[in-house]
Amino acid sequence: MNRQRIITAGLIALGVVVAAFFGMRTLRALKHFHRPGLPFDKPPSANQTDVELIRDWMTLPYIADTYDTPPDALFISLGLPPGKQNGRKSLKQLNDEYFPNQPDVVLNQVKAAIGAFQSQTMPPRPLSPSLPPTTP
Amino acid sequence: MSESVSGFFLTQVINYGAPIFALTLFLGAVGLPVGASLMVIAVGAFSQQGYFDWGVMSVLGLLGALLGDALSFGMGFYGRDWAQRKFGASPAWRNTRAYFEKRAWGTIFFTRFLVTALAIPTNLIAGGSGYPFRRFMFYDALGEIMWIVLYGGLGYIFGSQWEVVSEFMSNFGGLTLGVVVLIIGVRQALKRQIKR
Repeated sequence: MNRQRIITAGLIALGVVVAAFFGMRTLRALKHFHRPGLPFDKPPSANQTDVELIRDWMTLPYIADTYDTPPDALFISLGLPPGKQNGRKSLKQLNDEYFPNQPDVVLNQVKAAIGAFQSQTMPPRPLSPSLPPTTP
Repeated sequence: MSESVSGFFLTQVINYGAPIFALTLFLGAVGLPVGASLMVIAVGAFSQQGYFDWGVMSVLGLLGALLGDALSFGMGFYGRDWAQRKFGASPAWRNTRAYFEKRAWGTIFFTRFLVTALAIPTNLIAGGSGYPFRRFMFYDALGEIMWIVLYGGLGYIFGSQWEVVSEFMSNFGGLTLGVVVLIIGVRQALKRQIKR
């Protein structure tokens, strides 16, 4: 009988803690919906402009498509050869492969390249990746 | 860890489309932490960008989720003798089964999209309790359709803000779980009061 009481009290306490914890996080997430520029204010556009929404799991062709930018411009800005192989790699994979020990350099360079393309200025100077040696 | 896993699957979904999306929902339905709900919201947003065909993604994603649910139901079904031997004498196990049998359809339906953290335990208990497979799949399909339409629809409507939507939905699921646990506890306490 005593054990049942402990289980009931435990369930109530657990329920309160979990509900309070996630309730606060839900409210915090809800606040983000009220920022200007959301679908409540205007219909979402097909092409993205905010470079801060670029993530390291994205691929260069996907970013090029989303930001209406020529894919080759992104490869060139990174100093990488365009192609299917690199096109399927995420920014993080490209970073690990070509710029080891330089965290987020690919992500930042892509953001800069897109920003430059959007403002129609000169693109940033291409990076010098440590390309794997080519066999004859 | 889970963030890098969902990042990996997001990359593969934008590379290979619907088949990988279906595989991700299948893996999520058998209990692997691949971020299946996040994926549905993201695919809704990608479809809004015109990157995917929402209809094809929905149908293949639904098939993947249903296959995964059927498999986890099967795991419960074939593991029921083991579970009975291990937990059969425990009052908590008996209460859980009795609770499930009374509210089976609602539990199956709502755990697909509202309290998703309980979806896998529900599949295992449904299989282990001998709940009819066809009836399970019927309520499962209704719940999964609701999940894909609701989560994918939110991703589609909010477009580039899908990460905020995902954060909101995952926390809202946690809040619902807490409220459910609280209600069960309060009901048990009230029953004890009435018995006295």
